[in-house]
Amino acid sequence: MIQTENVLFTIVMVGYFAAMILYFVFAATRKETLWKAAFGIQAGCLILHTAALVIRGIGAGRLPMTNQYEFATCFAWALCLVSLIFIHKYRFPALGIGAAPVIFLIIGYAAMQSREVRELMPALRSNWLAFHVSTAIISYGAFGVSFAVGIMFLLREKLKEGSYWDQHIPSLQKLDQIGYRSVSLGLLFLTFTILTGAIWAERAWGSYWSWDPKETWSLVTWIIYMVYLHLRLRRGWKGKAAAMFAVIGFICVIFTYIGVNTFLPGVHSYA
Amino acid sequence: MPFAIGLLSVLAIACALSSLVTQGQAYNWYVSKYGERTAAVIIALHADDAYHSGWFLALTGFLCLNLIGCSLVRLPGLIRRFRRMGDPDAMGEPTATEEGINKPESVFEALRMPAPTARKNGEGREELYSAKNRIGLWGAWICHIGILMLILGFALGQWTGKQETVYGVPGQTKPLGDTGLAVTIRDFTVSLREDDTVEQYTADITVTEQDTGRSEDARISVNNPAKRFGWTFYQNSTGYASRVRVLKDGKDLQEEILCVGESLAVADKPDLIIHFQAFYPDYVMADSGPATRSGQMNHPAWLYLVAYQGQVLGMNALMEGEELTIDEYTVLFDQPRNYTLISAKRDLFTPLALAGGLVTMLGLMLALYVRPASLKAVKDGEAWTVYGRCEKGGVLFAEALRDAADAERKGKPEGKGEQGT
Repeated sequence: MIQTENVLFTIVMVGYFAAMILYFVFAATRKETLWKAAFGIQAGCLILHTAALVIRGIGAGRLPMTNQYEFATCFAWALCLVSLIFIHKYRFPALGIGAAPVIFLIIGYAAMQSREVRELMPALRSNWLAFHVSTAIISYGAFGVSFAVGIMFLLREKLKEGSYWDQHIPSLQKLDQIGYRSVSLGLLFLTFTILTGAIWAERAWGSYWSWDPKETWSLVTWIIYMVYLHLRLRRGWKGKAAAMFAVIGFICVIFTYIGVNTFLPGVHSYA
Repeated sequence: MPFAIGLLSVLAIACALSSLVTQGQAYNWYVSKYGERTAAVIIALHADDAYHSGWFLALTGFLCLNLIGCSLVRLPGLIRRFRRMGDPDAMGEPTATEEGINKPESVFEALRMPAPTARKNGEGREELYSAKNRIGLWGAWICHIGILMLILGFALGQWTGKQETVYGVPGQTKPLGDTGLAVTIRDFTVSLREDDTVEQYTADITVTEQDTGRSEDARISVNNPAKRFGWTFYQNSTGYASRVRVLKDGKDLQEEILCVGESLAVADKPDLIIHFQAFYPDYVMADSGPATRSGQMNHPAWLYLVAYQGQVLGMNALMEGEELTIDEYTVLFDQPRNYTLISAKRDLFTPLALAGGLVTMLGLMLALYVRPASLKAVKDGEAWTVYGRCEKGGVLFAEALRDAADAERKGKPEGKGEQGT
């Protein structure tokens, strides 16, 4: 079973890489078929990726979300899912140009981690694991998309109105709204993550908040996106400033995920 | 608002920087890690216990004041806006306008608006109006109240809450701090899997109210606490314990159960201390020092330290059956077992913090996903003009209205419903 999962994982990683290259070539050559092919490859990879996760889950006898490898591969999966939904919903094929490299980087990070299936330590044997980690995965995926939208916004600004890209990249106003919606999705799920984590910690350790580095950085990330919302609402910080804020916010998300695990060990050190 | 933004930014920076400093260590620890000058700065700024420091509490206090002020100031305007949304004459500046509509009802339907009410406006023209998702206006306000409840619940819990710990091996009864309760550990099991990893720690305890003698049994394991006499008991952690016997001239002098890290003073020579330093169930001498190969009791070894009048006399490992002899005294370690550390907590304000979290969540959902919108159609000759107003996400709403209007003009219903959330 693990062998099958390994094979699927490798195919998926190669697929995400191919999709990324196709998006780049599409950006350079403007051939319509290329983004369609990239979108198709990503959609196919998402199905195989889902299969790989299901196989790992069956093999491990639990949800595959408990160590660095599993979280990273789920993160890439969620980012792919959310970006495909946004591409489809907002008729925004060029979003893949910004999202595909992030998906590939995250799955590449997953490939560098140990894929060994380990049994869960007692603290992780809880039904709250599913709620806490799955909401974190969706949240990170949505923030990844907001990062990609932010990048596309900054690129779109450099392009002239009436150019070829008008068909593939929404107007700056609409991009701003899409970015806001992806941040909204991420923030809502991040709040779920923090809340479910607190309830779980209360059951496991008798302390729903203990200023563990991961908790603290999740709070920092939450505050950053709250500041983003306040700035948008009250200070008219839309457009370029909001796009740059979304990019900075995602850097904070990445630090919360990888940086904290690497430099600031705590009770989440296994994650 | 600028104050709130500044305050949130400062809080984020303070939390981030504080997380980089290991919390709760002694001055000497910081000196050895960062050097004397940095350690002095850490202590001076209370960065060693940043989240309980005066400046951090002051920041949180300002945040609470800001939340209270903001909620009070915004309340009257919010009530007015909420009421106004139901009044077609007070609709305000439209986000988008579409002209030349023959059947405005289909536009209302496409945008998933409630059935419009018809009337004649002040100019005597026919008018249709409906509004939806008015509750969404309350999202940010509810979110602020939720955060306030959360901070209040956490602060009161920190202030009034109590936490105690007790540890021991099966058969022992120990008082739970000064709570008036005693905990008897009846049984403690470490369930191992085939690969020797721990599956679960389970303790069977009896909690006794010392004044009344009333007692209640409980079984606790990791993630499964139990509530007794208003206290919640948690299976916190575990370690090794052992029986230690001291013989004098071959005769039993004393017998105690020591957990790793505990010491025993010899009964008739209290300056002589036996310290139980560590235990290795499957002892092996590795390059880095004593270690254990597994969690199984295959080759147990006890690491001890002997001190007399504060001076260390020696430190070594004893294998099973080996004795330690100090003058006329013989020390024996045997019957190794696991001890359990149980923590107990009483915090009356945890439910308030939890409710605050849930209210925050509800507020965010309303603020981010329930978008208040109103639609008004006014008959202009034979055709209608439709005015749409959305309180959030105007661009996407305008696009949805345009799509619905285009579909109506072409004579087919468009069920996009951008504002359907």
